[in-house]
This record gives sequence, C-alpha cells and structure tokens, in this order.
Amino acid sequence: MPLDYPVHRRTLPNGLRVVVSPDHTVPNVTVNLWVGVGSRHEQPGGTGFAHLFEHLMFQGSRSVRSGEHFEALMAVGGRANATTWFDRTNYFETVPTGALELALWLEADRHGHLLDAVTQANLDNQRDVVKEEKRQRYDNQPYGTALADLYAAVFPADHPYHHPTIGSMEDLDAAALEDVHAFFRRYYAPDNTVLTLCGDVEPEQGFDLVGRYLGPLSATARSQRPPLPQLGPLTEPVRVERTEAVPNDRLHVGFRLPVDESAELFAATVALDCLAGLTSSRLARRTVRREQTATAVHASAWGLLDGVSLGFVVLDAAPGTDPADLESALVQELERLAESGPTDAELEASLAQSERAWLSALASQEERADLLSRYTLLHDDPGLVNTHLDRVRAVRPDDVRAATRRWLAPDSRAVVAYLAARSDAEAVA
Amino acid sequence: MTARPSVAPPRPWSYPPVREHLLPGGVRLLLHDLPGQYVLSMRVVVPSRLADEPAGLEGLSAMTARLLDEGTTQHEPEELAELMERHGMALGAGVSDGGLLVDVDVPQHHLGPAARLVAEALGQPSFPEPEVRRILRSRLAEIEQERASAPHRAARELARTLWADGDRASRPSAGTPESVRALTREDIVAHHARRVGPRGATVVLAGDLTGLDALGELEAGLGSWAAPHHEASAAPVPPVPAADRARVVLVDRPGSVQTELVVACPGPDRSTPTGWAPHPVAAFVLGGSPGARIDAVLREEKGYTYGIRSSFRPRVAGGSFVTAGSVRAEVTADALEILLGILDAARDGFTPAELRAGVDYVARTAPGRYATADAVADETAALALEGLPTDFTTGHLAAVAALTLEDLDAAYRRTVTGEWSVVLVGDAESILPRLEGRVPGPLSVVEL
Repeated sequence: MPLDYPVHRRTLPNGLRVVVSPDHTVPNVTVNLWVGVGSRHEQPGGTGFAHLFEHLMFQGSRSVRSGEHFEALMAVGGRANATTWFDRTNYFETVPTGALELALWLEADRHGHLLDAVTQANLDNQRDVVKEEKRQRYDNQPYGTALADLYAAVFPADHPYHHPTIGSMEDLDAAALEDVHAFFRRYYAPDNTVLTLCGDVEPEQGFDLVGRYLGPLSATARSQRPPLPQLGPLTEPVRVERTEAVPNDRLHVGFRLPVDESAELFAATVALDCLAGLTSSRLARRTVRREQTATAVHASAWGLLDGVSLGFVVLDAAPGTDPADLESALVQELERLAESGPTDAELEASLAQSERAWLSALASQEERADLLSRYTLLHDDPGLVNTHLDRVRAVRPDDVRAATRRWLAPDSRAVVAYLAARSDAEAVA
Repeated sequence: MTARPSVAPPRPWSYPPVREHLLPGGVRLLLHDLPGQYVLSMRVVVPSRLADEPAGLEGLSAMTARLLDEGTTQHEPEELAELMERHGMALGAGVSDGGLLVDVDVPQHHLGPAARLVAEALGQPSFPEPEVRRILRSRLAEIEQERASAPHRAARELARTLWADGDRASRPSAGTPESVRALTREDIVAHHARRVGPRGATVVLAGDLTGLDALGELEAGLGSWAAPHHEASAAPVPPVPAADRARVVLVDRPGSVQTELVVACPGPDRSTPTGWAPHPVAAFVLGGSPGARIDAVLREEKGYTYGIRSSFRPRVAGGSFVTAGSVRAEVTADALEILLGILDAARDGFTPAELRAGVDYVARTAPGRYATADAVADETAALALEGLPTDFTTGHLAAVAALTLEDLDAAYRRTVTGEWSVVLVGDAESILPRLEGRVPGPLSVVEL
C-alpha cells in the first residue's frame, strides 16, 4: 500500500520544477534544491570541480557578502549545508516558517547572480578548504582512498563514474576563475534545477513565494545529453592491491549494477542484503559468526543515473586470516545465491529492514525534502517516494536469483584489497 | 532583484509533552506521541556507574551491553538476529559514565514483538561462550581501528591527559586491549546479574502512537522484567582532573598529511547550578559554523582546515569543553597558536551581536532538532540517565532565550581558565621541530 505524503508539483515558466509537501507538525520549512550537475559532468583535468564550485556558492553573490549565507540563516534559527555527488549537487536549509522568504531570497541571489561576487581570493581560499576536506576525509584516513580505487576498478577509464567527487589535488590546483564562470553558465539555471519545500507551508503559498523569488531567473541551461546506455557487468575479474598502514586487511568487492529505480536494481539490492547487508546475512553468519575469519561484513547498493549503478561488499579480515580465504567464501556464497535464490526469511528480513530505513529517512523533514528533489530531478516524479516500498515489496525470489546470476557473477567482481603493512620483524617471523 | 525580506518571529513551540506511567515491575515509562513519526524509537536506560567496574576489567559494562542481543535463554544467537531483522528492528546498546542505554527503532506495527524481544535481551541473555569470545575479539579489532584513526586516537589521548591517572574517565569506556583480554564469560554473567535490571530503569517510547496500545504492549513486554540480584547504583561523581593536565602531548602518527588538533579543559554537566543555557551558545559563537570566531580565521581567512568545532560535552557527572579539528601538517604550530589565542581572548567577553546570533541559533533551531521520534527519544533518555526532569529541555530553551551577556561571559570564564590540555596527532618528525617553543606548557611525544 502506498504511503500518503502530500506531493504538489508545478513547473515555473523559466523551467524551475517546484515541489511542495505540506507538513505542519513542526513550525519549520525545509528548502531543498537539486541542481542537475555532479562529478559525472566533469571532464578529464577538471575532476573535483563540481564540489569546489558548491563551496563557492557560500562565498557571496550579487547582494550577499561572503559567508553571509550561513550567518544570515543561522542567526534566525536555520541550519544549512550542501553536498555534491556523482549525479547532482544539492543545497538545503531548514528554517523557522517566518524565515522562508529570506531563505528563498538567498537562494535566488546565488542561483541567479553568483558570478557578480566570485573572486580569485575566494576561489583560492575555498580551493585550500576543499584540499583540507580531501585530506581529512580521504587521504589521512585508513582505507580513505579505497572507494576511489573501487570506482576506478569497476568503471571504464572514460566513464563518468570512474573518478570520485572530491577529485584530484592536481585538478583542484588547475581550477581557474574562468572555469567557474563557464560552469555556472552551463549548469546553474532554473531549467536544470528542482526546488522542494517541505514543512509548514501550503501548496499555493509555496508556489507563489518560489515564483516571486526564483521566477525572475532566466532559463539558460544548455541541454544535456541523455544518460549513457546500460553498462554490462565486468567480463573478467579486476584486482587492485595496496599495502598500507591500515589496522587490518580489508576487501572491497565491487560490481556494476542496473541503473537507479529499475526493477533489476531492487532485486540486486535484495541479493546484496542476503549476502552481506544484514546481521543475519549469509556472509555474516558464515565468516563473522561461525568461521570467524571476518570481524565485520557490509554491503551497499548505490543507485546511479548514467547507465550503471554500483554495488559493493566490504569484508574486514580477522587477525590471522588469509584474505584469499575470505574472498573464496564470498565467491561460494555468490554461487549459492545464484543457484537457489533467497529464502523466504531472508526476503522478509531484507524487506523489513528496507521498510524501517525508508520510513526513518522520510521521518525527517530534511531527508523527505531531499528525496522529493531526488525523484523529481532524476526520474521526473516526486510521487515515487510514496510508492518506493511497493516496488521493494514486488521483488520475488526468482528476481533475486536472476539478478545475482546476471550482475553478481564472481567473474564480474572488482576487488580492491587494502593489506596491512607488516613490520620488518613480523615479515621475518 | 526583489528586496531582502524581513523575518517574521517564530511561532511558539515547546518540547513534545510526555505521558508518564509506572510499569508493574517498577520501570518508569515515558511516552511521546508524535503524529506522523511512523518509526517508533524506544530507549531503555539503566543507571549504573561506569566507575564501579573492577580495576583491570574496564570494558565489562560495554561488552555486557553488546552481548545482550547475542543469544537468550529462548533464542539461539542467529535465530535472535534473524527474528529482530524480520520485525524491522535495529537494536544498539552501549554505556556512558552513568549507565546502560539500549536503543531500538522499529516500524509501528512491530511494536509488540519488539518490546518482547527487548525484554528478553535485557532480562534473559544467555551469553554463549563462543559469542562472548567473538565480541571480545571484535572489540580488540575495533581498538586497532580506533588507534589508526586520528580523531579516535586523539580522543583516547585526551582522556588520559585531562583526567587523573586511575580515574575511570581517563580510560576508554569500552576497555583497553589488556582489560578486554582479561574479561571472561563469568565476569559478564555476574555483571549482568548485578547491574542490569528494572530498579531505577526508564523506558522511553516516541513516535506516532495512533491506534496503538503502547502502554499495553510495553506492559506485556517489559512489565515482567525481573532481576532478583540487581543492585541499585550509586550516583556517578565528576571525574577528577589531572593535576598536570596543562600540557601538550604529540601522538606520533608517521606519514600524516594533517595534524588532528584537540584543545580541552574540564567543564560542567547539564545540572550545573549556574545553569546550562550559556554553554551551547558559547560553543556556537566560538566554533559552531564557518562564520564562528575560529573558522572565520582558520578556515575562511587562512584555508588551514575544513572546519574546527567547539562543544561542551556533558557527562552524567562532570564534563569537558573540547575544540577539535584537523589542519594541514605544515601549519600545525601556527594553527595551534591562533586557536589558543581565540579561545583565550573569549575570556575578555563576547559581543552583543554574538550573544544575539548564538541565542537565536540555539533557541530557534530547537523545533527542527527535536522534530523526529529518534531525536526526541534520545533527548528524553539522556535526561532520564542524567537524573534531569522531563521539562528540563523546555526550561533550558527558555533560559537560552533570556540569556544575558553577563551570564554568557561568566559561564565561559568559569570553565576556561587558560589552562589547556592539548593533544596533537600527526607526523612528529616533520612537525616537532616547528612546535618547540611555540606551545604552552610541557611537550611530550608518545607513540601511536
């Protein structure tokens, strides 16, 4: 049975897609914008630019000085941020109802008139900040670069998902002021943007206010190419090994998956749950509980737009375990799942956990707004938030078996192994 | 461009009301009915002083907590895990200085089974020997992962520097490699019998309770929770600060491209007689946003960091004021000098504009911060463990709104005396030569 979150939708004459979802339980409104640009749009030599650009959106625009966006919102009880991902860049704030117009005015100023205020000094400063973000979140973390290695191993060199959103230090260094101008002109426009209001606002009032503040922005986005065709699974295993100062050996095993929102992706997600995504999943029972060759196992599936999604399993080897044995266990369990499919209990557990996770995400006004923007920008239908669980429930054991065979075949795996550097003494012993 | 709109004053709001009941076994039940919150958040807190763990067996409480759902007298470990997952449950359990916290999220229609399974985990865990050994081994692996992570390694060194040697607070809550290796199944069984039971316990349930017999389900589940050997715990006392805490410790982490930097001093808990209200405001003004005093310089002007945050961290008893973040390795000394300068200068007072911005941020973000069942259950459970009344949050927010500059300045000066415990985690070979002579107090270097 579908959920019944209210969803009202309208497109302004300038192409801005607007979604309003009233919820008066708290005197707050979330303003959430998805711009149709992410790291998948970056060109060779320009990796990390979409994210660096996102930082510049907080450094002032025509009528707003640098830093004022955060300050003005926080001082009236707002919480604001932005993130960049493969397929999109999002900007969001949750404000007391009385500050909704201020939030829309601030968004209109930077989404319409950023370039009036961008300076070399701001670019240089935020380039430094982003480089520190890269060091903090990736370079200075154990296993911090493993996912970047996985993207490179799973996707072809010329594919939009081959490189991580954070980019490379060299490319960040190369970013110039004229790139900022060109990027803004190409991607930042109402006809490449979705704006969602979720919270203490009525539909007509919401559409009026968005029209008043963002209606004057001009439609200028250049048309984008359609998504790439579906990429098939890897045809032979790929292997990357790194020996580093990590606490234990860890395997990241990645697979190409069907695109976001496809029935096949739902089935593949259930397969990954059965394999390693649940406390009671097969690899958890076998390697963590019984054989104790792993201290932890996880699995994730990330739905993506551009012709392929990403699924991966992470296995932490227990001390004294040969990671090759752990990998063999994974291969065996993949083969078994492909052979006999999931049990009813596994399907029930996967569904029940998906249900809780989905309802928990929607419980927060911020996340609900983000999901409404997501489904509007990527799939042109915000109402999908209400029917998502029905699509998850529609997955049958045979679908899971078929998805495992097609997408999770052992020969289609890419393994990124981070192996703990042994000290000399240990190596000799 | 339209003119900048003005901001209308916020609508009145108060912390969600609570209905209080007493379950048959003596457990206090606090219910928050939150329409539209379809995942219910249940919390169980049992007061138990972490400092009472026997010396050498640190981690006993945390390991007992982690083993509660690893098998019961009625269900084998794998059976129990599967059962909880099929009912959509997510269960976590951990400890603070003041007691045990069990944390369960579950969709509305599974409340009955969830309450029964939580009662089973609390009252009849079987602690199978293989599971005990496995959980202890996984803690040992976790310790190694924490050692490898600069922020975790810094937190461990800070506890050791800030608090007196021998005080429980100076050692990791979940134990050290030595203490974890020393634990046995018998220790855990005995600890559970003495320390986990309904005396003084509180159950919180928050979410959309429409059409649910929440009281009935919880009575059926937790009303018969019995623990004949359960002893009431004494109230925790604040940790004793180390006499030599005003010093700098550099943890050598070779090859680090950033230095993790932590500056701290002892602070109050939320029951402080002079009032909790000024503390979140001061933390926001100093280190709560890119425009706060610290990041205005270290991030927005210098580009040394992705961001540095300040927070007052209340324990059930006592607490600390901690400022932490990471900076590019080459600028470690410079960043530390600037940071300490900003923290010390704030003792000269905040400005009226800062007071206004901080008060409005803390007070007006409250409706959003307490908008989900999860957040409300967390806060009400924390109040229960801290021995604070259920109307504390409402009173606190009113006090924040009425805060004066004098109160804010006085509170900051009470905690911040200029004596700092400083922990740096970074590449000693490259940063040490540039640190000498530029840090306050004695400097020592320790291994990772």
